[in-house]
Amino acid sequence: MIALVRWVGTAIALSAVAFFLGDYYNDVYRKLLLWVALALSYNFLFGISGQVAFSHFAFYGIGAYSVVILLFQAQLPLPVAIILGVVVCVVVALGVAIPSTRLEGFYLALVTLALAQLFIVVLNEGGTVTGGTGGLVDYRLPTILGVRIAGPWYTAVIVVLVLVTLAVLWRLDRSWFGRACRAVRDNPEAASAMGVDVARTKVIAFTLTSALAGLAGMVYAFVDNTVSPPIFGLENAFLLLFMVIVGGAGRHAGAIVGAVLLYLLPFVLSPLIGHHHALVFGVLMVAAILLQPRGIIGIYDRLRGS
Amino acid sequence: MQDFLELAVSATASGCIYGLIALAYLLMIRPTGIINFAVGEWAMVGAFGGFLLLSKAEWPYPVGMAAVLGFMLLVGWATERVAVRPLVERGAPLLAPILALLGMLVVFRESISLAFGPDPHQVPYPFGFGRLELGPLAGPYQSFFIIGATLVVFAAAWLFFERTLWGKCFEAVAIHRRAAALVGIDLGRVTALSFAAGGAAAGLGGLLVSANVSAHYLMGVPLAIQGFTALVIGGVGRVEGALLGGLLLAFAEQFTVRYAPLPAGYAQGVPLIMLMLFLLLRPTGLLAAREARA
Amino acid sequence: MNARIRRLCAPLLGTFLLLAGPATAQDTIKIGVVTDKVGPAKPYSEPALEGIVFAANELNRKGGVLGRKVELLVEDDQGRPDISAAMARKLVDAGAVFILSISLTPATQQQQNVTMEAKTPQMTPMNSGDTLTTQLPNPYFWQTGPLGSIQIATLLSHARAKNLKRVALISDNSDLGQLLARFFRAGLEKSGIQVAVEEVVPRGTTTAEPQMQKIRAANPDALFMAGVLTPENVLILKAYRQAGLKFPIHSSYNLSVPQYMTVAKGLLDGITFVDAYDPEKPEVKQFVADYVRATGKQPYNIHGYGYDGVMLVADAIRRAGAPDREKIRAAMQTTKYAGVMGAKGMAYAFPEGKRTGFDPNGMVVRVYEGDRQGRVVHTGQQ
Repeated sequence: MIALVRWVGTAIALSAVAFFLGDYYNDVYRKLLLWVALALSYNFLFGISGQVAFSHFAFYGIGAYSVVILLFQAQLPLPVAIILGVVVCVVVALGVAIPSTRLEGFYLALVTLALAQLFIVVLNEGGTVTGGTGGLVDYRLPTILGVRIAGPWYTAVIVVLVLVTLAVLWRLDRSWFGRACRAVRDNPEAASAMGVDVARTKVIAFTLTSALAGLAGMVYAFVDNTVSPPIFGLENAFLLLFMVIVGGAGRHAGAIVGAVLLYLLPFVLSPLIGHHHALVFGVLMVAAILLQPRGIIGIYDRLRGS
Repeated sequence: MQDFLELAVSATASGCIYGLIALAYLLMIRPTGIINFAVGEWAMVGAFGGFLLLSKAEWPYPVGMAAVLGFMLLVGWATERVAVRPLVERGAPLLAPILALLGMLVVFRESISLAFGPDPHQVPYPFGFGRLELGPLAGPYQSFFIIGATLVVFAAAWLFFERTLWGKCFEAVAIHRRAAALVGIDLGRVTALSFAAGGAAAGLGGLLVSANVSAHYLMGVPLAIQGFTALVIGGVGRVEGALLGGLLLAFAEQFTVRYAPLPAGYAQGVPLIMLMLFLLLRPTGLLAAREARA
Repeated sequence: MNARIRRLCAPLLGTFLLLAGPATAQDTIKIGVVTDKVGPAKPYSEPALEGIVFAANELNRKGGVLGRKVELLVEDDQGRPDISAAMARKLVDAGAVFILSISLTPATQQQQNVTMEAKTPQMTPMNSGDTLTTQLPNPYFWQTGPLGSIQIATLLSHARAKNLKRVALISDNSDLGQLLARFFRAGLEKSGIQVAVEEVVPRGTTTAEPQMQKIRAANPDALFMAGVLTPENVLILKAYRQAGLKFPIHSSYNLSVPQYMTVAKGLLDGITFVDAYDPEKPEVKQFVADYVRATGKQPYNIHGYGYDGVMLVADAIRRAGAPDREKIRAAMQTTKYAGVMGAKGMAYAFPEGKRTGFDPNGMVVRVYEGDRQGRVVHTGQQ
């Protein structure tokens, strides 16, 4: 009960912020929240279950495109479109994950890298279904019971998304399944000897986090009411990886800190040093890995420990 | 038939470029297990070296080429010093240097972008823009030059690994790191050398390809991906695998574009699907690694 | 303090402040620019921005607009459409009365969602995709880049004497390259010309030989180039020269940037390209002289796009009589402005509610003479 109150309180506090921000800061805030949601689920995939995949951002795009296509081309009602969109993500994820369990280590990264590129090719060549290179625009979130959620109220929806993502992953992490994931990451042979089905654990972790990314993508689709191929480009997959590393892989708080920091970095640096900010980003990345292998959350741990 | 043979020359030349990048990966992966995605940016640095020395300073081609390769040895060595050695010495997990090198990728690209601006720059051909006809085989001079230079590099690499003591050291480290250290092989030096050689291989690939594609700041990542695909197809086990993988990839790409009855846009998807299939059906690549012999 | 209170109240007071705020409180006229400083549009965004900055300085040197100085607010979208939309919001919040978009086409598209909602005028002086004004019914958006459909019509009108029947079309897989290819194909088919083969050279490839072989096998009367990536276009030209092909090449405006004269040296002679820039035009000569005097650097056509963008907007603001977004919107629609770009005597205009302002007869055709961009050989679509 107390836990529930705490979650609801957090949701209200995080949503309330949106009502005190101007349009610009609200926009930055909600795109930041979406990155946080993505970083959280990616952290579960990469940090906790140890799978290096570059398809996470592609699933974000699959979710976004699915919901728009299902709503406005197939003319389905919103709840059906959302459920079918998740089904699409799950099916694609299973299609990649099941054969990939035979692969070791970094090979999953390659399959998913190819998948992410293939996704962009399909978007570009999708004709009127995907809108080709121009993408899909000129749609609006359908009204729910006669109300159209917009502005800061939509930010509240994103807050709920982030918290649901966090809650699901938090519970999972503390469950038998979370321990199985960590065991598989650290030592698959030992995990297998303890009775953990390594392949199934990997497939479930991959599919679940990919579906969460797809869900975030569905929410993104109505932030700017625009989906187009360049939004879901490959470089974002690397940015996501960096966010989790810089924050501290394997820790929810780390993913949040990393996402906030790296997302906001160009906004802060660009006015100060102009287009040198990309160079600074690279240097920071190398420095973070060299000097602080456990990420920023590692510094926090050390400070608290001493 | 004439088309077919001409395309074979073109695909062989592209395949050699992919092969050189794949070789750069392989030289580093074999002894250390580290996948260095910054090889594409190394190739870009090599290309800009060519632009500076050959286009701007107008050095004679062999001198400029030697200078670029020397410089790339240095770049590879320095990259290892900065981004890899501290992590290896600390005993960090293998992923850490891979990620640090991804960071270096950004550093290289942005440095070049700031220093040279966004416009592409011309890098000259060593033998001009002419066309060579060897019986039924015809193609630009540059294609034959690329093929020749790549064959020399691969022959040298093969001889090094098969015939020299140093090469055996590399193989030993690749097969069993700790055992190799126990018999007195200096792991640090092997790692440093493998990065220097990787830098030179990638830089050569960049210099050769830039005569066609020009030197520009976004050229690195596509090369890194093509090279890695080639490596996956060929397998990380053997030097020849890198070249074989590169050739297969280039032939698949170019013959799909030329002969497959597909809309032009979809042709780009073919090598990606090929990569996925290879990974899923034959993850060790075409050529398997040599195992330790009792 | 004042600013902070306003920011806190903004959501409550909403559009009232957005409309009234800039007009009452500022003494400069703020024009926002969304550019790309690190991404793939950088080669074009950078010179366009230089042209924009020069134009603003020129305006201010001559006393500004409506007696006020013009202040440019430049934001970098990192080549990312989602950030681009956020930057458009930033400019709206900062009181920009107009936004100029010189980043990627998808970025301009995504900003429109913001400018439509915030009722803030926005224009792209250089994006040329025909779909920018058709995908979204945004009355606050205009486009003065020369459309793909105008480019192909101008090229075809020049090539009419050649009686083309079957042609080849080649492009790259960039968003603008694909868009141009789409409208090139539509324009060709409308003229009853068959596109015998259409090829794509993907970004980052190492050769265009297979594509060129396929084109050679189709034996077309001419090759139309719609791509916009310089390295890939150079590859296309190299494959064309290597194969010793003789059919003529007609290119989109991308071959009009002077970078080709160095990076494609020796490959260009005889290639026809469409341009929005006539070096013989008096306005252009004046612009070049002024630019060189002010900056010591030689401008080229991309600078002109940026320069015209600012000047056209300044003209609209003058006619609006006040830096008020709604009045500027109305004034934009009655624009008749002759600038640096376009054929002699061309003026930008948005007649009958149209939001694409480049005169369909305003483009010119030029031919490479050796490695130099030659003089204008054809104008418009007649």
